[in-house]
Amino acid sequence: MTATSERAPGQVHPAPWLVPAVLVLAAFYAVPVFDVARLAFSDASLVDPATEVSTAAFRAVLSNPALPGVVATTLLFVVVNVVALQILGLAIALLIARGERRELPGMAAFRTLVLAAWVVPGIANGLIWQILFDEAPYGTLNSILGGLGLGPVAWLSDPQMALVSAVIANLWQGTAFSMIVLYAARRGIDPTLYEVAALDGAGPWRTFRAITLPLLRRAIAVNTVLVSVQTLNTFDSILALTGGGPGRATEVLALFTFNTVFYNLDLAAGCVLALLLFALGMAFTLLIGWLNRGASET
Amino acid sequence: MKLNLLAIAIAASPTVLGAQDLVTRNRVGLPDAPNTLTFRLTAYDLYSTDQDTKAAFEELFSEFIEARPDWKIETQLQTGNIGQEQARLLQQVRAGRGPDCAMIDSSQLAVFKNAGVLQPMNAVFSEEEVADLFPYVRDAITDEGGNVLAWWWFTDLRVLYRDTSVVPDAPQTWDEVQVAAEAAVEEGKEGILFNGGRWEGTAFDWLANYWAQGGTLVDENGAPVFAEGENRQKFLDAVAYYQRLVEAGAAPQRVTSITDYDAFNAAAAAGTAAMFVGGNWQYGQLRNTLPEEDFADWAVSELPGPTADQRATGTGGWSIAALSDDPEKAELCGEIVKEIYAGPGNAYQGLLPTSEAIYERYDAYDGPEFELFAEALQNGVARPGAEIYPEISNQIQILIGDVLSGSASPEEALEAAASAVQAAYERQ
Repeated sequence: MTATSERAPGQVHPAPWLVPAVLVLAAFYAVPVFDVARLAFSDASLVDPATEVSTAAFRAVLSNPALPGVVATTLLFVVVNVVALQILGLAIALLIARGERRELPGMAAFRTLVLAAWVVPGIANGLIWQILFDEAPYGTLNSILGGLGLGPVAWLSDPQMALVSAVIANLWQGTAFSMIVLYAARRGIDPTLYEVAALDGAGPWRTFRAITLPLLRRAIAVNTVLVSVQTLNTFDSILALTGGGPGRATEVLALFTFNTVFYNLDLAAGCVLALLLFALGMAFTLLIGWLNRGASET
Repeated sequence: MKLNLLAIAIAASPTVLGAQDLVTRNRVGLPDAPNTLTFRLTAYDLYSTDQDTKAAFEELFSEFIEARPDWKIETQLQTGNIGQEQARLLQQVRAGRGPDCAMIDSSQLAVFKNAGVLQPMNAVFSEEEVADLFPYVRDAITDEGGNVLAWWWFTDLRVLYRDTSVVPDAPQTWDEVQVAAEAAVEEGKEGILFNGGRWEGTAFDWLANYWAQGGTLVDENGAPVFAEGENRQKFLDAVAYYQRLVEAGAAPQRVTSITDYDAFNAAAAAGTAAMFVGGNWQYGQLRNTLPEEDFADWAVSELPGPTADQRATGTGGWSIAALSDDPEKAELCGEIVKEIYAGPGNAYQGLLPTSEAIYERYDAYDGPEFELFAEALQNGVARPGAEIYPEISNQIQILIGDVLSGSASPEEALEAAASAVQAAYERQ
């Protein structure tokens, strides 16, 4: 028996075990990121390869008058989505947990139903909601509203409402992910705590504030990071739903990047925008980590 | 004597079994054929989801390859995302990984031409055949030396559809459109529908109003000029036409969310629209969709202009080009176009041929609508052969959305569009 094998698990050097994971991450994540950075400092287009090192793409992107509006739309889209995804995901997770505790029938089916939206591809999600939001006299949602004596609503033709519609479509698809993360965390809370709270006469709101929310804080932090990055990268559902219009009303940064590469054929500028997207994602992650810095101690 | 499609189908029927053997999901011909041509095509013919269309093209391809037993064609499908697919195709060709032969959207043809990746197919097409093409097609597919760099095998155009029970007479001018549409609104209809959302159809359909006044998007060097000189006012006038329609309620606000020609078919089927700006191909779709008595109410006419004698219509379609510098492959690519697509393929699908001779050759073009289409094609304008066109289109889509939704005045929107296009142009 060697000396190494006599070491306790915590004393074994981790490097050999980490090498495969590091190599896979490097090959599939780091190399493409470095390549994007390289192209951002070039004059590459989709038609012609890079011929020189240049900061012209950065200057062009950062001086583009459309950029501030696109970034503002992106931030609004992300912030509203992240907040709403947490609230809706948590509400559904608690509803399912409560239903299961009371052994109500159909909880598994309900959970599956919510998850079904999550597996729908983004493009299909956009098309589904485009049909629902259709403002024609025979449009689905407006017909329903009309039957109730309401509407019609300019779901996609009004710039402000179009962004709301894009948020609704994203929430419909993204809520399932939040729900499953928070549901798993909620299931991990020791039921004894709730029994003690009940014995102490704590009501549902008090129990939620004193037990559920503090113990879910870490899961909420992780979920916030994940859905922030997911929402920041969303473009397929918006592409299918509005194409970014009317005008630029729903053109988020990811879609702007797509248009820069495939309309302008400007690969270098597209890579600059991709780096900006990366930086925003990283900033969101660090900000959320900082705001929740006490969560890990909870 | 004209060829009857039914006769073609009957004559070809004994070879159906053979066709199935020769045509697979990614190959036409025998797998052990010594020579291979790679061909990237769209999913609308040989691999169409419509079984009749698929069978017809399988026959045409089978006959083609049976006459060339030393060859097999390896087929590669493009998705429907034209911009992305064509950009990827060009990138692959430049890297030496492209197919030998490919379908290229007419709006992208100039980009491929300017990139110098198209190989001449002169051996296949005679001077007479080239001369018989519509002028804008001929200009697009040939270079200064007269080389045939592609073959634009079908075209399309935009026309005004109207429900004659609501709008009996075809409006000839923009003002007449507004009057007719407002009258239709009073009858409880949507007056006129057109593409106004963020997609190529919006820019392309609207450009007819600009071109009708003689406006040009780019100069002879491919530089954007739509916001300069006389073009500027023509551009603003064409935007104002759409703006007036929406502000007067002649067109519903929802046009800014229309990003699909199918929306017009749906409105026609629901009986809610009086007029729409659509593509020629929608005539056949309406005939197949609407009950006969409802379809009888629908008629097509040329797109109205600012005055009755100022007309234009955007013309699109697809071309096929050789991308291999092997002359044998370039020739085979040309023969695929000539023997399969430009002729029998046109006629089977009812797609508009790009030369007069084919209209005369097939019964499929005997309908009265084709006379109107042929007449309107005389005012056909193709998108400019300039690399900057996709960005001009993008900015026009943004501009129209901003103006029609009230987010910007036409002047402000034009300034923003011109500035963005100029910045993109300087980066090319």
